[in-house]
Amino acid sequence: MELINKSRVKSPWLLHYDGSSCNGCDIEVLACLTPIYDVERFGIINTGNPKHADILLITGGVNKKAARVVKNLYEQMPEPKVVVAVGVCACSGGVFHDCYNILGGIDRVIPVDVYVPGCAARPEAIIDGVVRALQVLAAKTDKEAVV
Amino acid sequence: MVKALMVVLLVVIMAPLLGGLLTGIDRVLTARMQGRVGPPVLQPFYDVLKLLGKEALAANRRQVAWALGYLVLIIASLALFCLGGDLLIIVFTMAFAAGSFVLGGFSVRSPYSHIGSQRELLQMLAYEPVLILLALGVYLQTGSFMVKDLFHQSQPLLASMPLVFIALLIVLTIKIRKSPFDLATSHHGHQELVKGITTEYSGPYLALIEVTHWYELVLLLGLAAMFWTHPLGAGILLALAAFFIEMVIDNICARLTWNWMIKFTWTGGIILCLINLGVIWVLRAGGV
Amino acid sequence: MITGKYLVAVSIWLPVAAALLCWLGQSYSLRNIVSYLTGIILAVCALGLFLSGPFDYQPGEIWGLSWNTAISAADFALLALILYIGWRQRHKLIIILAAIQALLLICFDFGLGGSEIEPVPAFAVDHLAIIMALIINIVGSLICIYGVKYIAEHEEQHPVAKSRQPRFMFWLIIFLGAMNGLVFANNLYWMYFFWEVTTFCSFQLIGHDQSDEAIGNACRALWMNSLGGAAFALGLVILLRYGGGDYLSMQYLLSHHTAAGATGAILLAVSMLVLAGMTKSAQLPFQSWLLGAMVAPTPVSALLHSSTMVKAGVYLILRLAPVYAGTYLSSMTAIAGAFTFLAASVLAISQSNAKRVLAYSTVANLGLIIACAGINTPTAISAAIVLIIFHAVSKGLLFLCTGYVEHEIGSRDIEAMEGLADRLPAAATIFTIGIISMFLPPFGMLVGKWAAIESAAQLPLAAFLLVLASAVTALFWLKWLGRMLEGRPGAIAQREIMDSHYIASLGGLTAAAVLLSIFIGPVVNSMVTPAVTQYYFSPGLEANLETIAAGSGGLFSVWPLFILLALIAVAAGFLYQPRKVKNPPVYLCGENAGLPESTVFMTTGENMGEVKLSNYYFTGFLNEARWSRVVNRVGLIMILLLLGVTLW
Ligand code: SF4
Repeated sequence: MELINKSRVKSPWLLHYDGSSCNGCDIEVLACLTPIYDVERFGIINTGNPKHADILLITGGVNKKAARVVKNLYEQMPEPKVVVAVGVCACSGGVFHDCYNILGGIDRVIPVDVYVPGCAARPEAIIDGVVRALQVLAAKTDKEAVV
Repeated sequence: MVKALMVVLLVVIMAPLLGGLLTGIDRVLTARMQGRVGPPVLQPFYDVLKLLGKEALAANRRQVAWALGYLVLIIASLALFCLGGDLLIIVFTMAFAAGSFVLGGFSVRSPYSHIGSQRELLQMLAYEPVLILLALGVYLQTGSFMVKDLFHQSQPLLASMPLVFIALLIVLTIKIRKSPFDLATSHHGHQELVKGITTEYSGPYLALIEVTHWYELVLLLGLAAMFWTHPLGAGILLALAAFFIEMVIDNICARLTWNWMIKFTWTGGIILCLINLGVIWVLRAGGV
Repeated sequence: MITGKYLVAVSIWLPVAAALLCWLGQSYSLRNIVSYLTGIILAVCALGLFLSGPFDYQPGEIWGLSWNTAISAADFALLALILYIGWRQRHKLIIILAAIQALLLICFDFGLGGSEIEPVPAFAVDHLAIIMALIINIVGSLICIYGVKYIAEHEEQHPVAKSRQPRFMFWLIIFLGAMNGLVFANNLYWMYFFWEVTTFCSFQLIGHDQSDEAIGNACRALWMNSLGGAAFALGLVILLRYGGGDYLSMQYLLSHHTAAGATGAILLAVSMLVLAGMTKSAQLPFQSWLLGAMVAPTPVSALLHSSTMVKAGVYLILRLAPVYAGTYLSSMTAIAGAFTFLAASVLAISQSNAKRVLAYSTVANLGLIIACAGINTPTAISAAIVLIIFHAVSKGLLFLCTGYVEHEIGSRDIEAMEGLADRLPAAATIFTIGIISMFLPPFGMLVGKWAAIESAAQLPLAAFLLVLASAVTALFWLKWLGRMLEGRPGAIAQREIMDSHYIASLGGLTAAAVLLSIFIGPVVNSMVTPAVTQYYFSPGLEANLETIAAGSGGLFSVWPLFILLALIAVAAGFLYQPRKVKNPPVYLCGENAGLPESTVFMTTGENMGEVKLSNYYFTGFLNEARWSRVVNRVGLIMILLLLGVTLW
């Protein structure tokens, strides 16, 4: 058990979803994979599949169409899982917050664990957000263990 | 009997450790080739342990059963190999294992795992003849299909079957899911849009498949090591060299289509084998 | 051997009597009882033969006439009937071939004065014949039991003015009698008679539905098999002319030509018989009659493909194998068989009609068996016999299951069978066992194929073709099985109610497929090895088959793998407990529509779509018509070469 909990923190697999971002944050997320930032150092992998992922990383706010998708993806992820909102759009809707089609931040649809601000969020901030998310993940599993 | 059981037990315990480690080294070296630092060497173990602790999601029981079949049958082929068994039977058992994996992908009504399964089938079609021809070559050269009889050879197999070895390298590329032939699915070091045949597996079931890949890797490298049995150390080095070549190929190639794969293996791979076997046959018929 | 004599008589005459009873009785319950009883008695007979071991048997006289004369008369009557059919259908080929056969027979009976030297004994029941008898009488009887129910349902779905069920059962059951006669016959002239009877039965059965297509295909089967019949008759005439009456005895032929190999005219005659066997076994380029035979109701296909008809062809070729051992004829037969194995397997990939896939697979496997006969080493011959046994069981099973599913879902298309595992769980399980037993370890077919490839190493070209074909086989089987296993996450399997006829036949064959594979050791030891050592006097059986037989001695024995398979099934139950495991919808890029059918997704606008899946058939590249033409030509060249090397 101990071993599994430790491994959990060392092997966070991401699912990256673009709610309705301007693509600015997405570029920064992808920049994390490049040799300069190389998130694989932390065992982080961009899986592209909710059924393999531990962390749902969402850029951009949710619009009416994307709400269903976000919910579906979240539900298809196996427990334990955490959600990271990347960029101000994802946190609160950002500059688009009063657009006719925007519902607001991701937390309007699914529970968000870590908010990464910035427009666009810097790769360092994103990595930092993921690391925070890992702490949340660890806390979640500890709580589960108690229950 | 007792000795055989000991060997099997050793295989069951040691092979995944070895395979996981090799996979870890693969990921680090790949990262280095791309100018990155890469994950810790033990990363594959972390991944699998994590997966074991996750929630179990699956579509139905048969999906799980086939994944388990994949694991068990690969272990069975590896055990047969280590016991020095019949090469053809090893190849056929491996085919059953691969078939089991394919059926696991087919067991869910999911477009992604279906395409993965179809492609895995095509991959089987591509490498299966080469593997059987390899066994036939071993028979022509040594007069026996048994792996254990290879140890009575004075001359390494590589000397008489160099072209078959090259063909085996092509098979290795397909089997250990390296570009340009990682059509059905790739390993987690590769960042993918969708995962193909393993799309619908998650948590412990995915861990099962990962572990199976480790066993499979050891088995395949074993096949490469078979080409130099005296001293066995040379064979192991040969296998590691083959593994390194695969890594390089992986990093310098883009993924190609299945049409290309079939054409390439059925012409290139099979012809290499044929020429090699033909030469052996003629030499033998000539009494050399 | 007094009991043996009766067993032979019963195996031949009981089906005739039972068939007549079915025809005259006209009632369903009568057919029902008759098929069950006949089946049980025939199975007991075959087991009795197995226990009694080999013996010879010369029947006495009938009403003061020798049986030989009676058979001659029956032969001419049958040919006259075929001529009449040819004339009614305005089918030139049938008429010409029947006429040729009649002429050859006239030469045989009157021109050469052969009938005076009658080879004795007329029946020689040896180990191989006993194996065939077991297959015919057990698998065949199960198919007849299935047939009673099937044809009743068939007629409900395709109503006809006057019930043709009695007629159907008549031909189905009488087929068994003819096959029994064929395998027991030692006198080749008698064998020829039974050979023609099976041809005629298959004609009647294929044409059962009386549609234009059915009649056309039946005629094709008739002329192609008549061609084989003509080759057979020619072979007989050559044997009689250049060898003498003794040569008409299979035993004489075998004991006088083993090891040394036949030469000259005798070899030519043998090659004619091999050609006859190839037409009957639907080898390239004669495969089209067997594919056409698919129009018939499924029990017919099951019978033709598993225990009768096509097996008669390989039986003859295998029987004669010691005679042509070591000749070019042998090598050529191996290559022709291996080529058929490859070509038919490749063509099977492009088929989505389940019965056509099965048909191509039959052609392919018969090719493999013939290749084994051609390779002609003791191991190869053992492999061939093992393949005959297991192919009969598994193919019979698959056909019957296809027929059952066709009646349940109304289609025999593989694409229509998707999700069968949830719709008809029992049928899907049977299919899974059937398909796996066709080509994967540790089942008997694979053991046969393995021994075949091992022994083919002596003959590189044949070995190469076998290797390619064996890789191709996996493709079409697995993609078919994949379609059936597919299911929506969390779908609950429906309850399936199967008729007792179907339970008896499908259950029996499934049990046979599994049990025979598990006990392949004893099977090889008690049945196959004696059949081989009988004619290969130096029993130089390579150790391989014996290690399987020994059960645990060799490194490959089937037991551990069966235990592992059982283990997988049990462990999967533990690993997947429906109450504990969640079944989320499948991954559709998050576009799932959120309906209970988890495979419905949102498309453009607010429309919904359902996931549509289908197999690859490569019909663009693997155009059946085009490739059939190509492989038929190659097949024809192979046949010509086969005859050519004999003359040379
Ligand atoms: S936060 Fe800025 S960069 Fe990111 S999606 Fe919103 S607007 Fe674009």
